[in-house]
Amino acid sequence: MTRIALVLRVLLAQTRANFIWYFLRDGEMIFWSLAIPVFFLFIFSFALGGGSTRQTSTFLIPGLIGAQVLSSGFWGVGAMLATFREKKLLRRIYLTPIPPWTFFASLVLYRMSLLALQALVLALVGGLVFHVHVVGNPGSIALVLLLGAATFVSLGTVIGALVRSTESANNIASVLTVPLAFLSDAYIPIDRFPAAIGNALRLLPSTQFIDTFRGVAMYGDSLAHYAGWIALLCLWALAGTAVSARYFRWV
Amino acid sequence: MIEPAISVSRLVKRYGDVVAVDDISFDVAPGTIFGLLGRNGAGKTTTLETCIGLAAPTGGAVRVLGLDPAKRQDFDRLKRRMGVQLQATSLPEKAKAREILDLYAAYYGVVPRTQELAERVGLEDKLDRFVGKMSGGEQQRLALALALLHDPEVVFLDEPTAGMDAFGRRILWGEVERLRARGKTLVLTTHYIEEAERLCDEICVVQAGRIVARDTAAALVAAYGGDASIDFAARGFTLEPALEGLGRWTHAGERWQVSVQAEAGHALGAIVAHANALGVAIDDLDLHRPGLEDAFLAITGEPLDDDAAAPAGLAA
Repeated sequence: MTRIALVLRVLLAQTRANFIWYFLRDGEMIFWSLAIPVFFLFIFSFALGGGSTRQTSTFLIPGLIGAQVLSSGFWGVGAMLATFREKKLLRRIYLTPIPPWTFFASLVLYRMSLLALQALVLALVGGLVFHVHVVGNPGSIALVLLLGAATFVSLGTVIGALVRSTESANNIASVLTVPLAFLSDAYIPIDRFPAAIGNALRLLPSTQFIDTFRGVAMYGDSLAHYAGWIALLCLWALAGTAVSARYFRWV
Repeated sequence: MIEPAISVSRLVKRYGDVVAVDDISFDVAPGTIFGLLGRNGAGKTTTLETCIGLAAPTGGAVRVLGLDPAKRQDFDRLKRRMGVQLQATSLPEKAKAREILDLYAAYYGVVPRTQELAERVGLEDKLDRFVGKMSGGEQQRLALALALLHDPEVVFLDEPTAGMDAFGRRILWGEVERLRARGKTLVLTTHYIEEAERLCDEICVVQAGRIVARDTAAALVAAYGGDASIDFAARGFTLEPALEGLGRWTHAGERWQVSVQAEAGHALGAIVAHANALGVAIDDLDLHRPGLEDAFLAITGEPLDDDAAAPAGLAA
């Protein structure tokens, strides 16, 4: 019992420290993770909204949150792990008596709390400025968001497991995050693409996640409606976890 | 017989085709300070890494406090009992020293003694500074504090003063003395002669993955350091039979030099007495006693540091 309490205390302290060190004290991070998504919401709502900005932003908000889920996994966890390893921080942590997974979990928890903040800000701005209503069941929304986070954290960790240098990890993370968001129904509806390409893009976990998230959060669809994609996302998450567990090195 | 605190036997570590450690064995008695001295790339850090569980031996065995760092369960127990200062760990830049010390105390489940630790490593007025704003030496002193915060029985320091200024070195050396006084066992790697000579009870000279010599600094110097030499100028100086027996003499004009194997003080006394008897004044006297650096050069055939000055010999 005391051991568990101790580990939980460390987990919370480290998560809190991550949030302060990597977010609150990092102006660039605040800019990219909060200001930019809100900026995109405004620009895209006006630029892409053919008629109603409300309709457009209803589409965009889950897409922008979805893009942040991708970035949390690939950047926030994957590339960060590679950076920590290269800076020899991981091996230092590995030598302390805390179970190493605690450190990993604290990184994920930090990104989850940041994600919750990002989603909240986007939903608030959407509601206040564009009169967007989130109609989905809160429990279902949280569940899908968690599943998406699990999927992209596990895929992101694959980067952290396979790529040794910070530089390559950062490059791979940005190549994955930015174009993928454009191709995965986050900002541009997938039916704007030719049918064959659209079908290919639906094979991406990012498309599967963002569509499920949008349907459940904004259009009130049931989880059962997306059972197929939810199952696929679980498979992606498992595959990512398996590869990461096999290849991840602390030192 | 006392159980050694650390026992390394026939350790081999290969990375692909590269042999980093090639059959190294040594024991470290509890309460002693053990130094691995060698050039960069000699295999010191790899040896240390196998002791702390960061690298698994390719061959041979390592035991620290009777535990095998390559075994999961042993390693978990060892983590609480050893303290480690690694080379070039980058702690988070936007973290304050105080926050890191508090967090590491939580890792070890010990009460944070942040202020006390900070004073010991000379960081008491830097506690609220961001790591990214600290100098390299300050960051290393913070790393030292992290190695000591749970009062470990065995401490491993990998090149602890590399890049430190004189103040940092004094602090570190003081801490090492303190640990010695409290009966802790220490292993440190270094390529600084002065550090090895001053701190270590026992020194292993490591070259190309092997131990090429192992003893106290004084014994290494006595065995390998070579002769002391006395060099002076004295107009009208002449030798007498008793002086000739002191060692090998050379002279050019009024400059004299003698290489002595025994204690140089005795030879010096004899020379001065003889000069006095002759009524000759001695000028420009120079006494060179062999040091660990000379011993290192003799043992390995190469200087410890490429940019270190050539060993001071007498240019005749």
